[in-house]
Amino acid sequence: MKFRGYFVEDIPRRKFLKMSLKGGIALAATPALMTELLSYKGSEKAGAKLTLDPQILKKTIKHALEKGGEFAEVYVENRISRSILMEESKFKSGVFALSQGAGVRVISGDKTGYAYTDDITEEKLMNAAEDASFIARGTKATGPVDLKKAKRKSFITVKLPLEGVADEKRLEVMKRANQAALDYDPKIKMASISYYDETRGRTVANSEGLLLSDELPLLFFIVQTLGVGKDTRHMGRERLSRHSGFEMFDEVSPEEVAQTCARESIAMLEAKDAPAGIMDVVMQNGWGGVLIHEAVGHPLEGDGIARKTGVFTSKMGKKVASDVFTMVDDGTLPNFRGTTNFDDEGTQMKRNVLIKDGVLMKYMTDILSAKQLKMERTGNGRRESFRYIPIPRMTNTFIEKGKDKPEDILASTKKGLYVQSLSGGSVNPITGMFNFTCREAYLIEDGKKTTPVKGATLIGSCLDVIVNVDAVGDNLAFGPGICGKGQAAEVSAGQPTVRIRGINVGGSRARR
Amino acid sequence: MDYKGLSEQLVKKCLKLGADEAEVYIESGRNLNIRVRNGEVETVQEAGSHGVGFRVFVQKRMAFSSCNDFSDKALENSIESAVRFAKNTTPDENNVLPDDKGITKVGMLYDPQISQIPKEKKIEMAKKVEKLAMKDTRITKSSGASYSEGEKEIFLANSNGLSKSSKISVCSYGVYVVAEKGEQKSSGGEYCSRRFFADLKPPEEIAEKAAKEAYEMLDPQMVETQKATVIFDPDVARAILGGILAAINGERVLQGRSFLAKKMNQKIASELITIIDDGTRPKGLGSKPFDGEGVPTQKRIIVDRGILKGFMYNTIVAKRAGVKSTGNASRRGFTSLPGIGAHNFYMGAGKSSCDEIIKKTEKGLLLKGVTGYGIASVSGNFSGGASGFWVENGKIAFPVRGLTIAGSAFEMLNNIDMVGDDLDLTRSFTAPTFRIKSMQIGGK
Repeated sequence: MKFRGYFVEDIPRRKFLKMSLKGGIALAATPALMTELLSYKGSEKAGAKLTLDPQILKKTIKHALEKGGEFAEVYVENRISRSILMEESKFKSGVFALSQGAGVRVISGDKTGYAYTDDITEEKLMNAAEDASFIARGTKATGPVDLKKAKRKSFITVKLPLEGVADEKRLEVMKRANQAALDYDPKIKMASISYYDETRGRTVANSEGLLLSDELPLLFFIVQTLGVGKDTRHMGRERLSRHSGFEMFDEVSPEEVAQTCARESIAMLEAKDAPAGIMDVVMQNGWGGVLIHEAVGHPLEGDGIARKTGVFTSKMGKKVASDVFTMVDDGTLPNFRGTTNFDDEGTQMKRNVLIKDGVLMKYMTDILSAKQLKMERTGNGRRESFRYIPIPRMTNTFIEKGKDKPEDILASTKKGLYVQSLSGGSVNPITGMFNFTCREAYLIEDGKKTTPVKGATLIGSCLDVIVNVDAVGDNLAFGPGICGKGQAAEVSAGQPTVRIRGINVGGSRARR
Repeated sequence: MDYKGLSEQLVKKCLKLGADEAEVYIESGRNLNIRVRNGEVETVQEAGSHGVGFRVFVQKRMAFSSCNDFSDKALENSIESAVRFAKNTTPDENNVLPDDKGITKVGMLYDPQISQIPKEKKIEMAKKVEKLAMKDTRITKSSGASYSEGEKEIFLANSNGLSKSSKISVCSYGVYVVAEKGEQKSSGGEYCSRRFFADLKPPEEIAEKAAKEAYEMLDPQMVETQKATVIFDPDVARAILGGILAAINGERVLQGRSFLAKKMNQKIASELITIIDDGTRPKGLGSKPFDGEGVPTQKRIIVDRGILKGFMYNTIVAKRAGVKSTGNASRRGFTSLPGIGAHNFYMGAGKSSCDEIIKKTEKGLLLKGVTGYGIASVSGNFSGGASGFWVENGKIAFPVRGLTIAGSAFEMLNNIDMVGDDLDLTRSFTAPTFRIKSMQIGGK
């Protein structure tokens, strides 16, 4: 809590864009639920059937605004999840979770009141409305508008629905990954395979008359391998995640995930001490985009801007980055981990160009910050679950591809650090100071990738780093991650291969 | 609701539905979070919630399920899911539940007064600490002040006849502010957490520290890349202790995923270093009468004057290692299986005052902020972003920001040559000020 930064958990790069667009998947309408309003189907027998009368939602919203306030919302959520762990070639455990609840929110001026309940009954919803309205006491009340079912475009397609997948199939992909990892090299001494899937049903109703429901599947597959050398150990990690059905494993095989992971474990056993000091850094395409997610994305979130504390406050329309730098947050990329059909406040997902050719174009907003900043709603109001208030969050964030050839970028860099993949990092959104830990990195000597080096830290200021990007490749790729900002959100981050001049690298030996 | 009775009943239900052994973990609690900014309330959030986790063994195969719907049907569905899935996991002789009926007496973990104090007073506290922090003219903006509190009751029952419960409370408040000078921005924050409301620090103390942290770091300078002495402030203890804690996790040790795996009873640190895990400290923020699966907690020495003395175990991992559980089963709420974690984990105090440590440092870094993951528990490598103050000839010379520090765990731990007397045990994960003789610092 001392360093109040935002962080992204460690997930290596994946060629995600390529994968998701492969085979030209057609977009389908929102699956399930649109017909059977507010009635959830649980997966298998573990599911709970929940039926809720829209009249109750209406009554709750009305009650929430009785003391005053201009906006009220009810968010109902139902989530069924399953996680399985395989370690040391054993299926250690299976964990099922069934979670449901509803949150009531009231906004009055800049104030927000929030309360939630596990029990979705009229009585408990009314109590939550009462608690949430505490902050609006004595203000002018705005009457709610009649609820009307809304429609949103869908960006998530499902071929093999998760509830139709037998447990044996899930275990099988895990076994395949485990075997592929152990077969890769005798120095791989252990593999840890973790499988997670969930189905999340959401209903949003608010005093503007919005009523929306949908159901989102999510898959998250993580492979970790332990490489053991003479006196060295390295834990590699590779992850694969999408909002999609089980067909994800037909498009990217579990073996491929495991081999990518094992390759890293072995390569880094030879790592030498990293150099320390300021140097040029070439970052390979993929998950490295997490650097701009942290360094630039978080400071562009509307809440910090509305509070006037963020580094990009009052920089709208100004040149903030180099000419070759364009940055986008796009919640519509088909089936991506950061994609949804609408955000957790019901706003349609969009492609938002945040910085274009170095000029600041847009902040990412939720309903509250859009109102405070008098800007459009960008579809970035997200929440971890019904236990949290929605806040501005990123979706799929990336540096747009440029014109340079990746091999030319490397060849034209005399000396520096080649970062093949990053772990995660964090930023202080007020000062803009960021830090990252390298997962796999190499020295650059005479335009060539040479010796692997141990997990070095990259640090700097977000305003400097985007000015110092001087080469942007044409090979955009993505990776999946978990972003933390007091609450967790599923995101992806991406970039083409880029070069940043002069980053401070924290290694354990003096630079030669 | 009679959760204790329910937890015992549900154990029977698990057995009836096909489990050979079962554990039921119920959590019930409430929380309140208040955030104010510029003297106005920004958010007030409150809720009460509950949930239950079922751990079942079927022919020594383990599965787990959780739900927050206490209707009979939902509870039964949840148990059935766990029992059904247990058929898929690998049987393991080590899959056992604890049977120790004991409870460690730990005083003062619950304050019944917290819930009696009106919300308005708590809002006023947050407003006051913000106002005080903004008093200094160098502070230009508030990033918000907050007050939060929570109460939790835990009920644990298993098929070995164990049935226990405990109740805890926590409250905290703090403030974050910004100091600006031209284009420069610097942020600072401080908070205080306690089990008892009456033990919270006065707002003046919190406000002063937050403001100081922000303005002191204005006009930072950059130093050359070099090897120099590094003094760790108690605020950055986590950077060192976190990696050690992960590396003494008994399961990681068995799997070879720890840089300390083969170091039991060997010297891993300077003899000035003693590390303790204590689950029994009255009012301790990490204290509890029993761990996440019902084993009584204890106070243990992990590192004794530089010698590694203890790993941490829960019941299953202990059986596998052929030892007894150390009472370190951790639980991240009712939705998770018991893992392994610490209670109050700290480095013991030394004899030097903080001033004396600075005074005896010819050239180096007084480290106030570290970013990154700290010591990596598998490899023992350390690398992070660093900020703080540059020390020259025993005096603080100027603030520094944007530096890096790096090294290896053994090198760092063995090079600790001074330990301060300023240990603050009101924190649950802490160390006094200590000094590492020489580390690589990255700068210009």
